[in-house]
Amino acid sequence: MADPSLPNGRAALDEMLGRLSRKPGFKASIVLDRTTGSMIKTTGDLSALRTSKSRDEATAASFSNEAPAAEESESKGIEDFAAMVWNYVNSSGQLVQEMDTDDELKLLRLRTKKQEIMIVPYPKYIHTVIHDTPPA
Amino acid sequence: MQQRKDELVAKQAKLAELKRQRQLRAQQSNAGRASIGGAVDLKLGTDRRAVESLINDILGEKASGSSTGGAGSPAGRGSRPSSVLSAGELSNAYSEGPLVPGTPGPSTPAPIPTPAPAPAQPPPTLTTVALTTVYECPPSPVKEVFTYSKGVQTTEEWIGPDRPRAHSGVSDIDDIPGTTTTPNKRLSRRERDREEELRQKIKEEIEEELRAAKEYITEGTVGAPSASANFPSRDLTQEELSAVVQSDDFYDFLEQSTKVIERAFDQDTYDILTDYALHGQDVEEDDDETGNTGGRGKHRVKEVAQFFDERWSKMRMVSGIDFSPKFSELLLASYTKNPTAPHEPDGLVQVWNMHMQDRPEYVFTAQSDILTAKFSPYHPNLIVGGSYSGQVLLWDTRAKAAPVQKTPLTGNGHAHPIYAVDIVGTQNANNIISCSTDGVVCGWSMDVFAQPQEVLELKNPSQAKVAVEDVSPTCISFPQTDPTFFLSGSEEGTIFPCHRYDRAGAKAGVDRKIAYKGHTAPVMSVDFHPAKGPVDLGDLVLSSSLDWSAKLWKVRAPAATSTGTGDGIVSPLMDFVREDVVYDARWSPIKPSVFALVDGAGWLELWDIAVETEEPVARILPTTRQEGRTRSLNKVAWEQNDGKRLATGGIDGCVTVFDVASGLGGKEGLKHEDWTNVKKLVNRVDAHGLNGAMVV
Repeated sequence: MADPSLPNGRAALDEMLGRLSRKPGFKASIVLDRTTGSMIKTTGDLSALRTSKSRDEATAASFSNEAPAAEESESKGIEDFAAMVWNYVNSSGQLVQEMDTDDELKLLRLRTKKQEIMIVPYPKYIHTVIHDTPPA
Repeated sequence: MQQRKDELVAKQAKLAELKRQRQLRAQQSNAGRASIGGAVDLKLGTDRRAVESLINDILGEKASGSSTGGAGSPAGRGSRPSSVLSAGELSNAYSEGPLVPGTPGPSTPAPIPTPAPAPAQPPPTLTTVALTTVYECPPSPVKEVFTYSKGVQTTEEWIGPDRPRAHSGVSDIDDIPGTTTTPNKRLSRRERDREEELRQKIKEEIEEELRAAKEYITEGTVGAPSASANFPSRDLTQEELSAVVQSDDFYDFLEQSTKVIERAFDQDTYDILTDYALHGQDVEEDDDETGNTGGRGKHRVKEVAQFFDERWSKMRMVSGIDFSPKFSELLLASYTKNPTAPHEPDGLVQVWNMHMQDRPEYVFTAQSDILTAKFSPYHPNLIVGGSYSGQVLLWDTRAKAAPVQKTPLTGNGHAHPIYAVDIVGTQNANNIISCSTDGVVCGWSMDVFAQPQEVLELKNPSQAKVAVEDVSPTCISFPQTDPTFFLSGSEEGTIFPCHRYDRAGAKAGVDRKIAYKGHTAPVMSVDFHPAKGPVDLGDLVLSSSLDWSAKLWKVRAPAATSTGTGDGIVSPLMDFVREDVVYDARWSPIKPSVFALVDGAGWLELWDIAVETEEPVARILPTTRQEGRTRSLNKVAWEQNDGKRLATGGIDGCVTVFDVASGLGGKEGLKHEDWTNVKKLVNRVDAHGLNGAMVV
């Protein structure tokens, strides 16, 4: 609970995200604005944030030895991923709202065969983390 | 338009009324004349008609002309009374109900070519002409205002901007052909309608666009190339991005969200999706022998967590530990200052969560070293601490890091370090009791920190001749049942019984008649037995001292001490001699015969006096952070609710949590004999003296 108004507020943010990224199994995290869906922060291995389609594109681009193109497609891929998360959160929120208007979406944990996506939606921002599922 | 009609109806009714009155007058005058004539009215039926016609002739066309309807009526004079009556009825009906369009009123002027039975298209000229007749008899202002203003208000309301457009548009269009009156009004209405129409169109267009956009998005997410065509709505610029990142909002959000995620990470001890059929070869090898353990069987102790924060815990010593009484997974640790970091706050309290082991749940700060801290048992959000500067501090987990309340440094209160605080009383009436090393004991209300509610000064009774007569207490402990009596351990080694208030035969302060002498070095802790069992063991007290020992005492009831018997020196029941200074000793909150102590060599020892009084039943060294160096432990604390967990902290600022096996903690397997055994042991030792205890 360090005072965010201190000059080290930025450092504290980085530290929090850094600690998160040192957790075993952590792959990547992305922070979005809840209302607009704009990306605010990304950490970790950004290739985990790509959609399969953009991954294909990136591979194609890397074959053609065009570094800028690969880079561009990667950022495009993250954008696509952000859009998917955003839409996912919104439709889930809608589901909750329609079940009970007083209710609120608090946490989304999406387990897949390969990984887990953890989404923490707050009124203003959305924090998404992708990590490996524990070996089992 | 309806108003317009109503208006007309009202006017017509008025006209009819006027006409009726006139006719009545005429009738009266006729009747008068008839009676003057002396004849019976009934007989004069035919004569009267003749007379009437005569009168009419005499009066001429003036009278009939002024009474608009009557003159032109083709029914003749004979039917006049009935026609008047019908007019009255009609007018009444009109004033109550809405006018049927096209039905001619009694005052309808002659020039109308078509009598009204065609209701399909009411001629607009009808109403305008009617207006001209109104000029002759101006309407009474009161009635006008009533109907008209009311109508106007509702009309305004109904075409107001916040009314649903679709409805207004339709209904207005319907109204138009029937009823417009003046060209001026008609124009404005037309304009309004046009506006409505425009708005309607715009709205439809927007809706169309929205629908299209939605379809676009949903299609896009399915996999169309334009997945993010509408997303994000726009990219943030660098400035916006940094503004967002710098904002308090964002900081708070990230703090909360990372906490949630970290808890989720730490919680993943078991994978709920495990399919044992698929992963037969993966054998869980987490058995009892791994990790840092001590003791055996049911006296086993196992280290389960260590809490250390690189930024906050470094170079600090743990000065106090307490488990939350409400949330058994939370524990707090108070810390002394970090001498190498002058810019960090000196005092620090961290609240740790067993489910989030890498970072503290809360961090609280103070301007001076915190020497002791406790959760309030009655307010799960509040934490009370004592500082080196002599302040009692109150933090709230709902607030920020700084204390929400603190006692003043000057004036009445403490001017010396506070090594002991306690919260005594009940749910509805409790006080903070603080004790500083100069012997001042203060009672504080939870709400008023400006001044203490009570101040007590402890004076050493036996050393009046000595220059320093202060007691210099290092620790205090209250029995479970009595908030007015407490024991205080002192730097000289004596444990003094103290009263908060005057009692029969004893003044408030240190009891002069009795002292518990046995320790030869400063007493580091005093702990009353928790005594929550079938046999009362509340008079048993455990103390620890820098003289390398812990001692068990049997305390005399406060009432008994005041009667004053013997020399007033009480010796310990049992002596637990150790190989190093003993910093803290605490009873288990559940098992009546079990206590834990920590020493200067860094050992945590668990004793069960029902099993063994010479040696601990289990001992364990916490995992050291720096290889090969054991660090002394300052404090030990039990989890109060089921006594299965305890925490230690020491000079290296690291808090270590241990789980104990069933023999040392936990409510299951708790037997009645456990209590009676302790009682028997104590009685035996009490009767046979220390030597008797030694041969047990």
